[in-house]
Amino acid sequence: MEAIATLPGAAAAHRGKVGIWWFLASEIMVFGGLIASYIISRMGGPGWEAEAHHLSVPLASLNTLILLTSSLTMVLACAAAERRDLGGVRTYLLCTIVLGLAFLGIKAFEYSGKIAAGILPGSAPFWSFYYTMTGLHGLHVLAGIVVNTLFFLGAAKVVRHPHRVEMGGLYWHFVDVVWIFLFPLLYLA
Amino acid sequence: MSSDKAHAAEISLERAHPSYVGIWVWLVLLMVAGVLASRLPLDHSAVVTLIFAIAAVKAGLVALYYMGLRFERGVIYAMALVPLALVVMLTFLLLPDFVFHHH
Amino acid sequence: MTVSVQEVPGVGSEEPVHQEPTGFWRRYIFSVDHKMIGRQYLLLSAAMALVGGFLAYGLRWQLAFPDTWVPGLGFIGPETYNVLITMHGTTMVFFVAMPMLLGGFGNFLIPLMIGARDMAFPRLNMLSFWTIFTGSLVLLASYVVPGGAAAGGWTGYAPLSARPIYTGVNWGLNLWLLAHAIEFASFLMGGVNFLTTAMTMRAPGMTFFRLPLIVWQELTAAVVFLLSVGPLIAGAVMLLMDRIAGTSFFVPAGGGDPLLWQHLFWFFGHPEVYVVLLPAAGLACEVLPVFCRKPLFGYRWIVYSTFAAGILSFIVWAHHMFVSGMDPRLAMPFSITTILISVPFAIMVFAMIATLWGGSIRFATPMLFALGFLAMFICGGLTGIFNGSAPANIPLHGTYFIVAHFHYTLLSGVFFGGFAGLYFWFPKMFGRMLNERLGKVHFWLTLIAFNATFFPMHFLGLAGMVRRISNPLQYPSLEPLQAVNVFITLSAIGLILAQVPFAFNIVRSLRAGEPAPANPWEATTLEWSTASPPPHDNWGETAPAVYRWAYEYSSPDAGEDWLPQDRLLALKP
Repeated sequence: MEAIATLPGAAAAHRGKVGIWWFLASEIMVFGGLIASYIISRMGGPGWEAEAHHLSVPLASLNTLILLTSSLTMVLACAAAERRDLGGVRTYLLCTIVLGLAFLGIKAFEYSGKIAAGILPGSAPFWSFYYTMTGLHGLHVLAGIVVNTLFFLGAAKVVRHPHRVEMGGLYWHFVDVVWIFLFPLLYLA
Repeated sequence: MSSDKAHAAEISLERAHPSYVGIWVWLVLLMVAGVLASRLPLDHSAVVTLIFAIAAVKAGLVALYYMGLRFERGVIYAMALVPLALVVMLTFLLLPDFVFHHH
Repeated sequence: MTVSVQEVPGVGSEEPVHQEPTGFWRRYIFSVDHKMIGRQYLLLSAAMALVGGFLAYGLRWQLAFPDTWVPGLGFIGPETYNVLITMHGTTMVFFVAMPMLLGGFGNFLIPLMIGARDMAFPRLNMLSFWTIFTGSLVLLASYVVPGGAAAGGWTGYAPLSARPIYTGVNWGLNLWLLAHAIEFASFLMGGVNFLTTAMTMRAPGMTFFRLPLIVWQELTAAVVFLLSVGPLIAGAVMLLMDRIAGTSFFVPAGGGDPLLWQHLFWFFGHPEVYVVLLPAAGLACEVLPVFCRKPLFGYRWIVYSTFAAGILSFIVWAHHMFVSGMDPRLAMPFSITTILISVPFAIMVFAMIATLWGGSIRFATPMLFALGFLAMFICGGLTGIFNGSAPANIPLHGTYFIVAHFHYTLLSGVFFGGFAGLYFWFPKMFGRMLNERLGKVHFWLTLIAFNATFFPMHFLGLAGMVRRISNPLQYPSLEPLQAVNVFITLSAIGLILAQVPFAFNIVRSLRAGEPAPANPWEATTLEWSTASPPPHDNWGETAPAVYRWAYEYSSPDAGEDWLPQDRLLALKP
């Protein structure tokens, strides 16, 4: 049996969801453009594997695990919001924020290690792409953390308008999906 | 009658959803599989195909179940798929200039 | 149990959107009202048009009278000339054309025409305006930083743009990139708003195929922009990294490829010209039926052509790169797609002409400008067919033939389409009528000066005058053409001066123009069913319901020669 939601909040939820998906469509093009450039540059240039070996697959795998788990906690936060579960919303949002910060922390550790070893964006084409792609992705992660923190601080409001955290969730999952591709592109291939 | 409808609408706000933790388990397993696949003593292009197929499945799981695409109407699907198609097209059209070196 | 959230038309328009603002700041500066935001965008584009026009004057003076003292600018050397041409293009495309056609008309018209009370995200709308306002400030700031403003061409080709030492411009080009990023963000916000609003907030009875055409054009432009700008944003990040982080994405010496920048730029750059053109064509399409008292001919065909043009626009971009050193095997496919894209535009043009056929034409100022759009766009479109064919492109690329082509196509939109819209909707926006006589003077002066400026450029191009040179007299083969350059410059100055009657008309009418009735043009679309200017919530107590398409003129069912979209006809016994 289907219920047609005509409660006043439903229209706003629908608008918000449509709006966020349009935004994500444009973001797919941004990262897609960068990734397309990387793929063809790499296919056209020799010796990139040698550079890529300087990266730590275990560390990046840990980061991937962290981000995947943060997607889980994010979607659990959204489910909690729908249930009007204030405690659940707070808990899961906090987990998501902490995991996001952990991701950035490991990234910062990676960057500082490379820079200390003299590997800079200009050192080789591979590194130009590595820094640019993970840097742009990292900025998006940071933006997501900021948004999630605002939700966390205003959790009572979130519970009244669950569609807002759902919009934030869509963005956060998107950032996760981008990393799902960056990981093999940069670390495994 | 109308109060029944309102009630039904009220309790149905919690939409049916899959086991999020179950999906997470799959994601982790696929990630491990991808890392292992990259170590396989196979032909390089086979390895690359494998790890990106795995990545595509992971992305699909996140998109369908965490982002709710599974329960959405066609126009939202289009918003996800059309940009992907454009990116693939762009990649292909860049191949002649950067990979199939004609000069 | 699943919840299905249906698009319930009318649900959005019945919800109270925001309170009527009190106080100067909330009302005029930080407004969330789409009507005020639309007017703000128009004001911004007018201000930036002054900047862009002044740059055009400067570069044209240099071309006509090389190495002489330019009144208002001084001596212009080659580096300064590069700044002029760069900033003229950037300013006009991104800070005049787009804010006017999308930010201005799109914001003002879309909610009114679909019967909504505002956009889906009013605060995001306000943010979008202040974002592009900030971007404009960043662009203007680039003039005063050490090293001056960007000088890499509006296309910013690498490697010239990729290393500060090549242009001699450091911060100016970085700010140029930043200004682009900011205005891209602004239009992305706007695009999200337009699309979400049209998808979810149409009035009862306003099905998609009852939308006025301009709404379709704005929506298509929004989608095309949304989907094409991404790779350029990626490229801009890469270019910034080249400039400040020592990378070599686009610099051959470091292993990069300048061609990659060109591909990324034009992947966006070509769809972008349709983002500008489609709303302008839509403005003309709205005006024509009103002043022919005839339905728009081929409405559905124009909509489908708009889709086709939008889709095809993504696969024609390399026609800007035929002589770039790109793989020659790409020349034929892109020539074919480029010729193909002329078909939907031809259909649009034929539909507009067929609308006129047999109509009872009223030659008011908006109509004159709409007809001007049609004529000028046909000229521009025809030269496009030559440019799009690779063999013909080889001698034409980089010459003034191209400059003529894109000014005919772009300015037919921005000038003629834009002015058609301004004269047509000024009463609705400001509650005053513009002076008809001044409007007609403005039209004829603009039409004559526009053609005098740009038509001779076709011949300059064919004779071999290339773009982006600051002193034609340095090239002996161009010396015989110099008289043409002088003529063009004088005409260009005339074109700028021709806008004075318009400016005077606006200022005077805002203060002392005849108060406008709700529907001075006897038009059928929803915005004319409400007061001029509309009340804060657009409709008062009851939002409209829609019973027919947007072009019911000279219908036998109605007493008058027009039937509004929201008028319920009495049932015949």
